[in-house]
Amino acid sequence: MNTVSVKAPQTGTTYQRRSDALGFFFALPHLLLFATFVLGPVLYGFYISLHRWHVLAKAHPFVGGSNYGAALSDDIFWVALRNTIYFVILVVPAGNLVSLLLALGLYSVKRFRTFYTVAFYLPVVISIAVVAVLWRWLYNTEIGLLNMYVLSIVDGLRGIGLSLPPYQPIPWLSNPSFVMPSIALMSIWWGAGGNMVLYLAGLNNIPDDYYEAAVIDGANAWQRFLHITWPLLKPTTLFCLVFSVLGAFQIFGQTYVLFAPGSGPARSGLTLALYMYQQGFNQYEIGYGAAIAYLLFAIVLVLTVIQFRLLADRENTPRRAGAKAKEVNA
Amino acid sequence: MNFLLRVVGFSVLCLCIGGTTWLGGCTRQARGGASGVEKHGNKVVIDFWNGFTGPDGKTMEKMVKQFQAQNRDIEVRMQIIPWGTYYDKLTLSLAYGGAPEVFVMPAARLPEFAAFDTLEPITPLLATAGPPLKSEQFAPVPWHASFYKGRQLALPLDVHPIGLYYNTKLFEEAGIVDRSGKAKPPRTLQEFLDDARKITKDTNKDGRTDQWGFVFTNQRSNWLTITGQFGGSILSPDLKTCVIDSDANRKASQLMHDFIYKYKIAPRPEGVDAWLAFRQGKVGMAMEGIYMLASLEEQKGLPFAGAPVPQFGPKSAVWGGSHLLCQPAGISLEASRASWRLMRFLSDNSFEWATGGQVPARLNIQRSPQFAALPVQAQFARQLPFVQYELLSPRANAIFPFVDPAIEAVLLDLQTPEVALKDSQRRIDQVLKRP
Repeated sequence: MNTVSVKAPQTGTTYQRRSDALGFFFALPHLLLFATFVLGPVLYGFYISLHRWHVLAKAHPFVGGSNYGAALSDDIFWVALRNTIYFVILVVPAGNLVSLLLALGLYSVKRFRTFYTVAFYLPVVISIAVVAVLWRWLYNTEIGLLNMYVLSIVDGLRGIGLSLPPYQPIPWLSNPSFVMPSIALMSIWWGAGGNMVLYLAGLNNIPDDYYEAAVIDGANAWQRFLHITWPLLKPTTLFCLVFSVLGAFQIFGQTYVLFAPGSGPARSGLTLALYMYQQGFNQYEIGYGAAIAYLLFAIVLVLTVIQFRLLADRENTPRRAGAKAKEVNA
Repeated sequence: MNFLLRVVGFSVLCLCIGGTTWLGGCTRQARGGASGVEKHGNKVVIDFWNGFTGPDGKTMEKMVKQFQAQNRDIEVRMQIIPWGTYYDKLTLSLAYGGAPEVFVMPAARLPEFAAFDTLEPITPLLATAGPPLKSEQFAPVPWHASFYKGRQLALPLDVHPIGLYYNTKLFEEAGIVDRSGKAKPPRTLQEFLDDARKITKDTNKDGRTDQWGFVFTNQRSNWLTITGQFGGSILSPDLKTCVIDSDANRKASQLMHDFIYKYKIAPRPEGVDAWLAFRQGKVGMAMEGIYMLASLEEQKGLPFAGAPVPQFGPKSAVWGGSHLLCQPAGISLEASRASWRLMRFLSDNSFEWATGGQVPARLNIQRSPQFAALPVQAQFARQLPFVQYELLSPRANAIFPFVDPAIEAVLLDLQTPEVALKDSQRRIDQVLKRP
């Protein structure tokens, strides 16, 4: 018994080492590509952010944190950050709610579920450039479809005897107050299908037994959702929220296509990623642009950590799962 | 073993990261890509980049073919790149190698590129490939724009001022005609307002105006024209101080605002393709560049004509631009000489270029009977003595992002001219203070 107990760990360790080596070997191509095309440029970008770096300049003097200081004292940076945060607040909760509702709806549909899933998912595969051009027409103040719908609703209300003031078309993209909500609406339409699929997968993973037991206990639909569906969807919700926030903070294509480089009326469509792009690739001040990129990175990093702390279900976080696995191994 | 794996992994990562950084540095050193000469057999190959994606591209293509037919020892590879990406590509090629031997540079961008020594002086070439070229042969405005700090870095090809396009049918219907019964364009602010008021109508009587006297198609060029007529400017003459928050600029901005909200002769510039509306015959007047002529000629059944912009303020001024022909710094002598022959040919034969909607920079062509017979071009060319370029400053590209939103805010009635221009001045001053 003793001999076996001594040899077994050695065999295990050798196996573990081989397994590690093999794993590393298989991961090597990805690691090489990752280091060359992601990690290297990311670190190089940080290096650039510490220099005064105009593309055409022959010399790039080291300026330390000056670019960061300049960005933090640049009020356009704060305008862009405020717009970006406003967009995140508008789009993340509403977008996730729409995705969840779509998923719940699809989950309850038995016939043509695949058809509806594909139909709702379809906007996700459309390029943002196409989406933005399409919505620019929908939002057109004079001839846009959305204003036509609003007008027909107003006419309908008048038809039933309501006294309404003369209809003024909604300036979706020319009034600064409407710009971000309009972009958010468009973005939700575009991206809701992605999270919907994730929620649908989450719903499919919930065993029917729980619902059956709840029905036997007399729980109604709302109680079943509140006490079974919602808690068991928490990992999915966390994943969707984190990635939605990451994506929303990087909003670029929508405002880039909808508005000219000025970025909308009174800069109401200027976002941080767009400002970074303008500084780096329109002004060619890539040192300054890189500093803005790193500030955006820092903000997103902090928010992601906070989200994990606030929302992570202790039983489902990878760290806990890892700890549990260790306990089992021990 | 684990330790060894970590060491190997870490080394690979370091190598990759180092390699990436090193590649970045290496490519930086390959500056001045056009240093050699590419040859196909006995032919010298020259690359020629421009952003002529419209009908002007076809005209340029035709001219290049004519050049090739007369110069069998040179092969020209012309690349038309949309202006939106043109500067990115050109900038990167000038910085990291691969720049074309000849490229078009708008006059307003020349100081920026010249400030970084990316352009080759052309003075030694002026006396070659034909009779010497002298300043007297060129319109003064584009000729001066081809210099930066005393060095001539480009050959001016054309001038493209904005002018007044007007719909002759709408003018005649409104009774705005001369003695011979032909549409008569306005010359003064008062005439402009009177004419625009007569044309602005609610044709289908639904309570909303659907035919406008005027539209803002290009806010920047329209603003620069009107403010130029009031004597306004963005920077002081030494380009060191921002003076956009001036009385002249406020007056000009207020006048543009009044076109929409006081006189009600122009629609708010929101969600409307203003140029399309003019093309569709729903607008009486628009101030646009001469390069838009081709798009009007393509529009079937649109009766239009061109005239100089009306006199809105006390001075004569009109926004204009120029296409300048440049060579990259460090170009080899052989490539430079071959490229110059193309540049010279395009300049010598720029009447062909004018037919596509330009005013040639060469005075002999401007004064030729053929050019005088081009109705719109000849009218727009009358403004050449007082053409004003956007802003001949190396920082122009960094300054306009603070000018355009101010104009837009005024035209959308989001800010008063006072507030918008003050805000703009503060931000431009920040840009100018940057080292």
